[in-house]
Amino acid sequence: MNFAQVLNGIALGSLLMILSSGLAMIYGLRGVTNFAHGALYMAGAYVAYSVSTHINFWAALIAAPVVLAVLGAVLELVFFRRMQHRNHIEVGLVTFGAAMVIERVIVLIWGERTLSVDAPSGLGGTTSILGTDYPTYRLLIIGIALALAIGLVQWIRRSDVGLHIRAASHDVETSGILGINVDRVSLIVVCLGAALAGLSGALAAPYVSVYPAMGISILITVLIVVVIGGAGSIGGAMVAGMALGIIQTLGSVWIPSLSVLVPYVALVVVLLWRPTGLAGKRV
Amino acid sequence: MTKKLFPALSVLVLGGLVAACGTPGGAATSGGAGGADAAGSTIKVALIPPSSGALAQFGSDAADAWQFAADEANAAGGVAGHKIELIKMDTDATAATTLRAAREAVTQKGAKFIGAVMTSTEHGALDAQLAGLGALEFNGLGKDDALTGKDCKANAFRVVQSTSMDMNAVAEALAKLPGKKWAIQAVDYSTGHTSAKVFKEAAAKAGKQVVLEQYAPLNTTEFGSYITKLQQSDADALFAVEYGADGVAFVNQAAQFKLNEKFNTILGFNMVSEPLFKALGDKVVGYYNNLGYDVSSDNPLNQKFVTDWAAKHGGSKPYYVVADNYLAAQTLFEGIKKANSGDPIKVRDALNGLSFDSIVGKVTMRGADHQLIRSSYLGQVVKDPNGIGGLGWKIVHEADGSVTAPAPDPACKLS
Repeated sequence: MNFAQVLNGIALGSLLMILSSGLAMIYGLRGVTNFAHGALYMAGAYVAYSVSTHINFWAALIAAPVVLAVLGAVLELVFFRRMQHRNHIEVGLVTFGAAMVIERVIVLIWGERTLSVDAPSGLGGTTSILGTDYPTYRLLIIGIALALAIGLVQWIRRSDVGLHIRAASHDVETSGILGINVDRVSLIVVCLGAALAGLSGALAAPYVSVYPAMGISILITVLIVVVIGGAGSIGGAMVAGMALGIIQTLGSVWIPSLSVLVPYVALVVVLLWRPTGLAGKRV
Repeated sequence: MTKKLFPALSVLVLGGLVAACGTPGGAATSGGAGGADAAGSTIKVALIPPSSGALAQFGSDAADAWQFAADEANAAGGVAGHKIELIKMDTDATAATTLRAAREAVTQKGAKFIGAVMTSTEHGALDAQLAGLGALEFNGLGKDDALTGKDCKANAFRVVQSTSMDMNAVAEALAKLPGKKWAIQAVDYSTGHTSAKVFKEAAAKAGKQVVLEQYAPLNTTEFGSYITKLQQSDADALFAVEYGADGVAFVNQAAQFKLNEKFNTILGFNMVSEPLFKALGDKVVGYYNNLGYDVSSDNPLNQKFVTDWAAKHGGSKPYYVVADNYLAAQTLFEGIKKANSGDPIKVRDALNGLSFDSIVGKVTMRGADHQLIRSSYLGQVVKDPNGIGGLGWKIVHEADGSVTAPAPDPACKLS
């Protein structure tokens, strides 16, 4: 095994970490398996494409999460809040429908063709790390993911809103009785979760190609990450995302013909070992 | 509020379902059997391109090419005195939907000929039903060898080159390309494995060595681990079979890893094409790739086609999907002219072994398997201020169709 392949795994894990933490937040608080999360990621990539074409990539990194946070607010206010007492299958189906609507709207606006976004100027080349030349843009993704992970964990642990999120994720009704404005906390969480999906889409745009099915193809992996992490655990999803990214990359090096099975094998192994996921019920 | 909204929404949803499920069969039922044979009658051609999904743009371009050909023919007084009418159907590029659309077009709308079907899977399913429907199909898009091999059908005609023809053209040109030690990066799918097999045989003949061979699953978007292995190999040239979104991701990531600087040659197979030029950008300048159609060919018929097409489409020149579907229409029209009839059986018989001048030069419809024998090319991407995304092709090799087309498969029985 060589250092470049480990970095490849960390880069993929970083992307999965950002995307899955948003999904885990929404599931933890709302109990919603948000099948639209892949579509939000795709929408983030398309917003990044347009903004980077007309302004620049750095503006896209801000615009995509903001636009997606607004979309998250719509999802929360129109669907999740109104359907909070319906069973999970019904709400899951609604998010599935929302994903189809989002995908169709994207196609109507941007078309069916595959698009690509160039890495920002100065980050298109390689940087030498411990004697290994590695794409600078991938190092940026790793840096942003790590900074975000630290920031998010600190925010949830130390801020009042974080305390409310942790409380509501454990028990919504009791939190409400104790005076926490659960609706407000939910709005924040869904907006933030959607914004994280938008950010990961924007970061992925120069990394992978931008096309309408990109959300569906990553959704399964992200759902597996969330389950492995411990459904609803943000920290667990982050650890699982990074671990799966590394394992999947090493799998494609060691056993290329079976690499597509790696996430599923990891899921089965973890659930047999720890049925509640890596983090259990911890947020 | 919710109680009021729910019934209203239910009505809307049900209304939508009824509209979506309603059979459009009542729209047109003209065109009974035999009508197309009468002099001066209208010949109906059903077009079944995908109207949604990742292939919708290709579907739209294919239908546009058929429309262009039909308009041109009708403006010239029709084909053998028959006016051409196109019946556009919708599909999502799945075999079941395409079959349903074909049955409706033939049995209820009077179509006797079918075109603009996209994938090889659709062609395979449709071709098996053509005899029962009494219709002919003209394939300008599906390249799977089996369609003119073990799965060939008497009523199906392939106008586009097969995968083997394309790959043989690339193999023929291999000796010309710089690079002695080659790496193969291919999609883990039948196209990838077939192409790699032909490439390895051609490389051995050309005295070149294959030092690395690796396959990425279809729909791979993270190529980091594959590119790292390519970088760490001692190959000096790369043969890559990655297409669509996978191909764009591979090219972008290869550029970020500066893979282009390592290899003397990057040879793509179905990886680089005009519809992807904007997405790929200057990163692919210098790449080689197989080409089915040479837009710059000085053949007068092609020059007229390119000029007329550009005049009607804001100056944009046709690319392979447009050209291959125009050629499919041209093939049908030549068959009608030779048969002097719009009857599918007579047209089918007339097409067997028919040679004619086309936009891609003199071509022949091989009677043994219904594969059109035409040239294939190897092109190199160059900067072209008038091209899509500022890119264009330089033809570096033309391979004769009579050489690239494998001998008819003995498993193909047309009778």
